[in-house]
Amino acid sequence: MANTETVDLINEKAALMRRHVVEMGFGAGGRGAHFGPALSSIEIVASLFFGIMNHDPENPTMADRDRFVQSKGHACLALYSALGEAGYITKEQMATFKGDGSFLAGHPTRNPQYGIEVSSGTLGNGFAVACGMAKAAKIKGEDHKVFSLVGDGECNEGVIWEAAMNAVKYGLDNLVAIIDRNFVQLAGTTKDIMDVDIEALWRAAGWDVLVLEDGNDAASLLDALAEMKDSSNGKPHVIIANTTKGKGISFMEGSLNWHARPMNQEQYDAAIADLENAKTI
Amino acid sequence: MNPAALDKLQDWSKAGHRTVQADTLMMLAAEHPEVVALSADLTPTARLVEFKDTYPDRFFDVGIAEQNLIDFSAGLALEGLRPFAVGLAAMVPMRPAEQVRAALGYMNANVTVIGIEAGVRFGPLGNTHYAMDDIAVVRAIPNFTVIAPSDPLSTHKALYACIEHEGPVYLRLTGGPGYPVMYSEDFDFQIGKSIEYRPGSDVAFISSGSLLADAVGAADILEDKGISTRVVDMHTIKPLDTEMLDKVFAENKLVVTVEEHSPMGGLGGAVAEYKAGVVGAPKQVFASLGDKFQKLGDHKFLMKENGLTAPDLATLAETNL
Ligand SMILES: Cc1ncc(C[n+]2csc(CCOP(=O)(O)OP(=O)(O)O)c2C)c(N)n1
Repeated sequence: MANTETVDLINEKAALMRRHVVEMGFGAGGRGAHFGPALSSIEIVASLFFGIMNHDPENPTMADRDRFVQSKGHACLALYSALGEAGYITKEQMATFKGDGSFLAGHPTRNPQYGIEVSSGTLGNGFAVACGMAKAAKIKGEDHKVFSLVGDGECNEGVIWEAAMNAVKYGLDNLVAIIDRNFVQLAGTTKDIMDVDIEALWRAAGWDVLVLEDGNDAASLLDALAEMKDSSNGKPHVIIANTTKGKGISFMEGSLNWHARPMNQEQYDAAIADLENAKTI
Repeated sequence: MNPAALDKLQDWSKAGHRTVQADTLMMLAAEHPEVVALSADLTPTARLVEFKDTYPDRFFDVGIAEQNLIDFSAGLALEGLRPFAVGLAAMVPMRPAEQVRAALGYMNANVTVIGIEAGVRFGPLGNTHYAMDDIAVVRAIPNFTVIAPSDPLSTHKALYACIEHEGPVYLRLTGGPGYPVMYSEDFDFQIGKSIEYRPGSDVAFISSGSLLADAVGAADILEDKGISTRVVDMHTIKPLDTEMLDKVFAENKLVVTVEEHSPMGGLGGAVAEYKAGVVGAPKQVFASLGDKFQKLGDHKFLMKENGLTAPDLATLAETNL
């Protein structure tokens, strides 16, 4: 069981990260941001960066760091906000999000010095690349783990299943995929777009599967991630984390309208008010 | 075309190419029962919600699965339907390039692949969302027709031409909100037949896509300096209008190809390939995106970075003349 100190830390970091998501996304003005997709992933990314992964912002490319590969690249604000909180990137750099000449694009661009391991944005690729990185660790006899954040809609892509089978073939038990199952994709709900039982599919592919009823709950995430990180049963691991798209901002939660768009002043004020309220509860 | 299009030009110009193609697909669907539309989890982005609601049995969302989008469309086409598969140009046709070749090109399937937000229109989203190489890939596939229209009406007319056309088409769309109206009245649009937008004998801009407006702007600048400038709307990149090129090569002193694409394999490449066999043809310079992954920035910033604004084009022409 995760200790309360760590759980509190994750919750504290998650609150700060949500604030960054709103600030950076609002700061992008008319260029907009993928708010909903980032907000559902916050506790997952916070748990990894501040509870589970072995990494060092002072030494971002150390050989034995655990790798984080954000496959659902459009939710880059979840990653950037964690990188900001961890100290990989500065406040000033965060403020350049999506700006002309910035290195913080609307999808991650590989930049290990700042903690960005893999370029992603075309769905499916990040996860398959993560499988290659996990195999490389095995070939080199290194003990670090590879974590990859994948969308539930992203699981529509063929390459996800090509890679999933391959990961089983090579026994990549040093790989943990986390599916951010927020039940919404771009054009509609996952039920409307492609109604499949992904849990059954991952099991059928041969993965070690764990379903989290509340994937925005730090305590259960920490427990699940710790268990899978330590398990070397010869199978790759996947946590299917049930989350809420737009989590934490009342008018975004579960909404189909906040996949990606600009945020106006009024919405910004309302979003900040929600985050402030959450603190006092 | 549909005559109602003429009343929509201002709205279409404001809204950009996504709306033009979606509205036109609605018109085509009303006239042709064999028309079906497909998307890969991009229905609102592709402005196809109205199509989906109006024709629920003729609209298919295959999920985020571009390879399947292409093969599924091919199957529909082989059985007589007329599929229009809409996706981001950066991902459709790029992810399923092999399916585009084997299922569409090889079987000469009557599928129109519509690539929206081509070039670097998706600025702040970064390089995974830029289509800088799509023309090169599709153009190299036999049987394919590649069209990059310049404005709302030509986009509309291109789609009407697609439905009459036998074989696969890649329709590559660039003009966003503020899509300039280059044609305000009906005109003759034929696949493979370019349009001399204006005559001129020194420089010839040969342009594809929505950069036609910038080429015309550059021609204005050059004309003011006494440099006679022809502008050609080469809306079809394949098959290339070699008759027009013969005329340009005989009459102009410098050819400037203008496109929002890599200098390799796009319009510039196609013109250069043909020009290689024309004795005494003039020099060609390429106004294009560089052979590089781009810096991040909005579309305007990237046009400037790559020398694709009207003043940049004028300077490029003048210094090479
Ligand atoms: C290959 C590819 N196709 C389409 C897209 C466009 N796109 C971006 S996000 C998205 C939906 C993703 O849904 P999901 O994986 O459920 O993530 P969520 O936004 O719900 O977190 C789509 C279709 C893309 N980025 N890449």
